[in-house]
Amino acid sequence: MSMGVPEIEDAKLLFIFGYNGADAHPIVARRIVKAKQKGAKLIVTDPRITESARIADMHLQLKGGSNMALINAIGNVIIAEGLADKKFVEDHTSGYEEYKAIVEKYTPEYAEPICHVSPDLIREAARAYAKAETSMILYGMGVCQFAQAVDVVKGLASLALLTGNFGGPNMGIGPVRGQNNVQGACDMGALPNCYSGYQSVTDDAVREKFEKAWGVPLSNKVGIPLTHVPHRVLEEKDEAKKIHAYYIFGEDPAQSDPDLAEIRETLDKIDFVIMQDIFMNKTGLHADVILPSTSWGEHDGIYSCCDRGFQRIRKAIEPKGDVKTDWEIISLISTAMGYPMNYKNTQEIWDEMRSLTPSFYGATYEKIEALGSIQWPCRDESMEDKGTPYLHKGGKFAHPDGRGKFFASEWRPPCEVESSEYPYSLSTVREVGHYSVRTMTGNCRALANLEDEPGWIQMSPADCEKLNVKEGDLIRVYSRRGSLITRVMPTERVKAGATYMTYQWWIGACNELTTPYLDPISNTPESKYCAINLEKIDDQASAEQFVKDSYESIRTNMGIDTAKKGV
Amino acid sequence: MNYFVKGNPDLCIGCRTCMIGCVVAHEGEKIFQMNPWEYVFNPKLDIVKTATITIPVQCKHCENPACMNVCPVGAIEMIDNTVVVLHDKCIGCKTCMIACPYGAIDMVVASDGKKQLDNSDRIVANKCDLCIGREEGPACIQVCPTAALKLVTEEDVAVSVSNKRTAAAISLSQVKGS
Repeated sequence: MSMGVPEIEDAKLLFIFGYNGADAHPIVARRIVKAKQKGAKLIVTDPRITESARIADMHLQLKGGSNMALINAIGNVIIAEGLADKKFVEDHTSGYEEYKAIVEKYTPEYAEPICHVSPDLIREAARAYAKAETSMILYGMGVCQFAQAVDVVKGLASLALLTGNFGGPNMGIGPVRGQNNVQGACDMGALPNCYSGYQSVTDDAVREKFEKAWGVPLSNKVGIPLTHVPHRVLEEKDEAKKIHAYYIFGEDPAQSDPDLAEIRETLDKIDFVIMQDIFMNKTGLHADVILPSTSWGEHDGIYSCCDRGFQRIRKAIEPKGDVKTDWEIISLISTAMGYPMNYKNTQEIWDEMRSLTPSFYGATYEKIEALGSIQWPCRDESMEDKGTPYLHKGGKFAHPDGRGKFFASEWRPPCEVESSEYPYSLSTVREVGHYSVRTMTGNCRALANLEDEPGWIQMSPADCEKLNVKEGDLIRVYSRRGSLITRVMPTERVKAGATYMTYQWWIGACNELTTPYLDPISNTPESKYCAINLEKIDDQASAEQFVKDSYESIRTNMGIDTAKKGV
Repeated sequence: MNYFVKGNPDLCIGCRTCMIGCVVAHEGEKIFQMNPWEYVFNPKLDIVKTATITIPVQCKHCENPACMNVCPVGAIEMIDNTVVVLHDKCIGCKTCMIACPYGAIDMVVASDGKKQLDNSDRIVANKCDLCIGREEGPACIQVCPTAALKLVTEEDVAVSVSNKRTAAAISLSQVKGS
């Protein structure tokens, strides 16, 4: 995020795009509600009526997969109506003319048949966004999980450039990252192309610095993105380039990745799979070795919040059983492989990382302790440097010329769209009670009381009527890649033709259906769009039995004790 | 006057923390350590979502409660500004459930562990009791992350009515002479 999460409350206008805070992050949603109470204007762009959309001043209920067209149209209106911040554009940006040339054709009338949003509403939203004293954009997976994702992010950032909404408090653009510490994983270099602090692996000076510190030669080539793993296992002919071992921790690709049939085949074909997690999960069923590790309450460490804020986490209880912390397991494996690691605690690891990462160097344990949170960049160890609540102060950007770069792209439709054979679209979404792949929350009793297997498919009342199904009925859902059984949830909050499923259920696992198409830059899969069909099940009783038996069978395969269960 | 919990749909985000808070308040924190089939999960409020509204629905603690008036065994009483179901007396006849115009009553397995003579489960009427006897007041209000719930008391009603009357007087004064 260019801003801090607390600033959300004080923005004069929130432009929420493909982000459903109430289900994904209730604590951020609370800030949105507070902003509204304080008088902020709310514009929500979402194909569903989310909780934020429900209380918004304007809801642009676009058709899924049309983000780029809508954003270009908003840029078009801002330029056409002379609402751009000309001084900011002149002093602090580059590429305006190229941007203008691309968005020129995206008049609201041009965008309407793509987005299904009325030209009047697009104009009204563009005017409000441009005219507000401070406008803040919040976006989520409704932007990122498309094959055209990075373009859309840059398009949103361009709206902020166009209106001078960078460089001050309570403005800017914020990806409200999907999962706890996903920001931290990226910050620490758990990406194929960078070390900690986004230092490039292809930069010789950076590489030499790390080689010197660690005393080993390091590759100068970008690694393999997670989502390319199936290809590198199933399609790669060159044995030397093929992936032979896969060490997975804190991740359940056999539940979370698209096209699960392909993932299972991948995991089974790899010579050796290590799974390191706190509970058994679907990936564990394909693992050769399982390393049990501690959960969040059982170890120390530092998380990065989505707003770049480092926060300390502390061990609350002693771990039970034969488990170790992730960092101890990694140290032991490294030592066994011939590179001894002898860290005594997480602070030693953090200090080593800081010493190699100039933009994080000032964020010491002591300072984080004293301040609660430090947002990077924080370059100096002295207490004077309290970090950076918002980026681009004074309109200064990270590009070598110090200017923010405009970007626009032509809209591209999703990779797999509805057809006569698969007439409905499916988007994967979140629900508040279950986090990510349910490894943790699926084991939480009270949450299972609220929602349990096989999960739901959200459908419009019109579609339910057409298929003659009602709330709670089991229904078969299938795509070109797989099929599953789940329950019907009729809701007026979705449009006819569009359906939504949460992705954590073991039985109603919607990633059996999703497509493996990726954004070419981020390599994030298009989880928000694929084509499906629905089939009413006449024999509900045997379908119920099937769900029950499948669940028991998964639990048995995972070694979860079900014998005592009386129901 | 009986008290009641009022929700503000402008603040509610539909997270259902109130429902969990309700169960914990009545069953105790022990449920976090129990097997799911060993305790009764019986929230006394339910989040309702329509296209435009998200809000928990629970008992209004009516002044002339239909449920109390139709109960054939006198199992519903008013105690301390609260309409309460006495589970020991309840025979599970469902008359109150039908009579309640708010859908605020459902039937659940009695959570006190008491059984019928043949040892089968007792089914009783389940509804909000404003966490009667709980020092901190209704748990739903306390756990709500957006402070969307509020206990309405005589005083709140008096202030609200008084404010509305003042507003009405001002608006009436603006049309004098017409």
